[in-house]
Amino acid sequence: MGLRERLGKEWLFCDGGTGTILQKLGLKGGELPETWNLTRPDDIKALNRGYFEAGSNIVNTNTFGANRFKYDNVAEIVTAAVKICQEARKEAGREDDAYVAIDLGPTGKLLEPMGDLAFNDAVDVFAEIIKAGYEAGGDVVVIETMSDSYEAKAAVVAAHEVCDLPVIVTMVYDESGKLLTGGGVEGTVAMLEGLKVDAIGINCGFGPKQMLPIAERLVKCCSLPIVVNPNAGLPRTVDGQTVFDVGPEEFAEIMGEIAKLGVHVMGGCCGTTPDHIRAMINTVKALPFTAPTFKNTTYVTSFADCVEIGIKPVIIGERINPTGKKKLQQALRDNNIDYILTEALKQEEAGAHILDVNVGLPEIDEPVMMESVILKIQSITNLPLQLDTTDIEALERGLRIYNGKPMVNSVNGKVENIEAVMPLVAKYGGVLVGLPLDEEGIPATAEGRLAVAKRIYEAADKYGIPRKDIVIDGLAMTISSDPDSAIATLDTVKGVRDIYNGHSILGVSNISFGLPARELINSYFLTMAMQNGLSCAIINPCNGPMMASYRSFNALMNLDPKLEEFIGAFSDYVAGSGIAASSSKSSSAASSNTVLTLAEAIERGVTGRAAEAMKEALASGRESLEIIDSELIPALDRVGKGYEAGTIFLPQLLMSADAAKAAFAVIKETLSDKPRNVKGRLILATVKGDIHDIGKNIVKVMLENYGYDVIDLGKDVPPEVIVDCAIENNISVVGLSALMTTTVASMEETIKLLREKKPDTKVIVGGAVMTPEYAEQIGADAYAKDAMGTVRYCDSVFGE
Amino acid sequence: MPLGVDIPVKEVQRYMGYHGIADIAPEMQTLIDKAIDRLSTQSHPRIVSKEYLIDVSEKSVVIHTENEDLTLESESLARNLKGCCGALLLAATIGPSCDMLVRRASVTSAAEASVYQAAGAAAIEAFLDDENDRLKKQYEAKGYFLRPRFSPGYGDLKLEHQKDWFRLLDISKQIGIELTDSLLMVPTKSVTAIIGIGRDPKASGCSGCAGCGSCNMHKTCEFSKGRS
Repeated sequence: MGLRERLGKEWLFCDGGTGTILQKLGLKGGELPETWNLTRPDDIKALNRGYFEAGSNIVNTNTFGANRFKYDNVAEIVTAAVKICQEARKEAGREDDAYVAIDLGPTGKLLEPMGDLAFNDAVDVFAEIIKAGYEAGGDVVVIETMSDSYEAKAAVVAAHEVCDLPVIVTMVYDESGKLLTGGGVEGTVAMLEGLKVDAIGINCGFGPKQMLPIAERLVKCCSLPIVVNPNAGLPRTVDGQTVFDVGPEEFAEIMGEIAKLGVHVMGGCCGTTPDHIRAMINTVKALPFTAPTFKNTTYVTSFADCVEIGIKPVIIGERINPTGKKKLQQALRDNNIDYILTEALKQEEAGAHILDVNVGLPEIDEPVMMESVILKIQSITNLPLQLDTTDIEALERGLRIYNGKPMVNSVNGKVENIEAVMPLVAKYGGVLVGLPLDEEGIPATAEGRLAVAKRIYEAADKYGIPRKDIVIDGLAMTISSDPDSAIATLDTVKGVRDIYNGHSILGVSNISFGLPARELINSYFLTMAMQNGLSCAIINPCNGPMMASYRSFNALMNLDPKLEEFIGAFSDYVAGSGIAASSSKSSSAASSNTVLTLAEAIERGVTGRAAEAMKEALASGRESLEIIDSELIPALDRVGKGYEAGTIFLPQLLMSADAAKAAFAVIKETLSDKPRNVKGRLILATVKGDIHDIGKNIVKVMLENYGYDVIDLGKDVPPEVIVDCAIENNISVVGLSALMTTTVASMEETIKLLREKKPDTKVIVGGAVMTPEYAEQIGADAYAKDAMGTVRYCDSVFGE
Repeated sequence: MPLGVDIPVKEVQRYMGYHGIADIAPEMQTLIDKAIDRLSTQSHPRIVSKEYLIDVSEKSVVIHTENEDLTLESESLARNLKGCCGALLLAATIGPSCDMLVRRASVTSAAEASVYQAAGAAAIEAFLDDENDRLKKQYEAKGYFLRPRFSPGYGDLKLEHQKDWFRLLDISKQIGIELTDSLLMVPTKSVTAIIGIGRDPKASGCSGCAGCGSCNMHKTCEFSKGRS
């Protein structure tokens, strides 16, 4: 019988430690264990055989670290490992009921955006190992000792793309049930279930006793078979040797306790031996087996956060969607990701739980933009995202690189649409928004919509997407054109809850399109929808009345324990003052500074006052250019000179820069079609291999304040990218930053390539390890010791 | 998870480039206080260390590990460990939240980003100092004295040796720091170090000789100004 048929139906057992046993056999500290598959195959066979003989059903090949970063001959190493394990199984007489597991550990590299390994490259690295193992005859893929859910996702995607073998994933949590990258048990399980693995578990990290509470949490949230593979207690060093403090008897006893919680596959990790496994099997086999139970919980997750749908209404921030938003459209066209990130942070601050991300504009490459925006947003916020697109390629690329289990907006009842969207959600996992409309259009009545919803549920069944992961949209449409529309929508929401026991969602503000005082209608409608069972509200969380409605509802329905959220948001609410005023959190020192002029506000670095003073100046009828020239720039200059003279310190310079930036933002907002004079355009980048960008960002802010248009290529930028961008935009100045001596080499390489391909470009360099001498040595045109130095240099180049 | 130790305000200010200046704008002090508060509550500090026997000669140090002898060619390290019979190799981090806070602040405010940067540096140092004190007491109870911390990249100890630390201490798996191709650590607020163990109390506790004196950037370093 195949492993997939047996998982979750009977007790199954994994093997125990590998590394610790090989060390006893003489594996050296710097030696790669997988080389033994070729140099000492008999030792590896004895190791595997020991576990087959002890009763393990799933025995790992010696391929934990057999990846291309450590080996040139991955296929050879992996193939040998599988063959050895098969022979061991045969010799142990276990060919009928035991399986050879292609074992995968972490790559040892951190994935982008935190590290330097691209997600799709990680998929390739794992695919290479799995392919070799599959072709050699492996029976199951075991992905283990993962402390980063994102890397685990890459390995699972690789396994599913290479073969149809069962996939088991076990992660390493700490005592508090967190991964090293911050994720918790429930969120990780939700992501892995969405990815359709066959069993989920925990291994390594600590001994069985400490693992017990984590196993308990797994049992509570996981619908799949659960695997538990602890170490033999905690390691200690005795006479220079690592030993573990839990022996076979004690191990078996505690594993028996864990077995009773309702787990399904058990084994060991570091420090455990065939004796541990044998003792454990003796104990556990005598205990009753409980099959996994389905958990009707719906989670949307990021790498760190986990939002449950169905407990209290969830707020989905709608601001990252270009429909009807000119500034966002422009930001997308200009590739101005910072604008989008600012919107993300604002919505998080205002109380959003999930952020909708829609980057669809006819004139941009949506799949590319979707991928890059998701990566960027996930590098600054823990909030889960809702991928909102009608472009199937954009959806697939987004789902693939998303770190966690996202929401997907949306599928509808049309057969063609279902066939395009559902296979992707089935593959990558996600909570899917279903729009109850079909080839006939949008049904006018709730009955009609609920009928289409039923077909969407049935299609989900067919694709293996659990119904709990479908959220039906009530389709809010304006009451200004159809007076019955709110009623139909509310009845749909209610029907989803009462008839299907399902979840619902609304783009709330559509209800008031074309009306005055939209926030009045919207906020009352939101309350009514929540009262009818709405699970998710797509709204602008920065809108006071909407959040007032939301928070009041939660307070009244006992969904806000101790009323903490309500009191926190409205403790300084003034009756009759209007809702919006009290909802903003900007209670900085601004009020005491109202007397400051624009120039003073910039010099002192009071951001809020600088923006206000700029608004006042514009309101008084002054020309923006005149304000810039007579107040803003002179103020910045005074700070800059003070900094150069050593009377003002960097932090103060930065605060002034921030204040100036805020003042400029006001001009941009009020006069978006009348741009200020641009002095020149240049590229800034932190060179390849270097992930420090704070210095470069400071330089960017200063340059922008002084009227330069900066193309910011970010950090860890390869020379070719910089050169191509310089050629494409005909750039005359490139600024390069490097913090480490180790990365100055790639700075030099970049300069060389620039000299070769675009010799008229000037290069200015900076960064902690840079000196004027060093700069000259690597062929730069200039060295800047700080941000002001770069500004002065650009003034000299562009001023000519 | 809390950091567990206080982040000294003065150190944060020093990392930011304030030296000997009492007059800090109230807006800036607000940012500093906020950063200290967030890092104190949102950090996830972790440390891993192992003790080894060592041999110290004029120009190199040999570390005897379970299965290999690792030679570190470095005169400055040899000077630091002179007279020691053993050493602790260690790695520590305050976790990824500081990097996230820096990235978030970078979107809207360069000033705030630099404050988090400085507060993070002060936080990992404070955490390590605290751990260091704990170890010091432990060893002193047994009649041993600890030397000041020394890290790969200090003096003539090559940064390449980061790889040895990662291998010997299994740092990625134990405490979640990863090493990039260019030998940088992520999370960035992380430290690897060696601490000498010896019988001679006089050679210990002089942070000056291992601190700034042996640093490659001694002459240009802004951070060393204002150091007591």
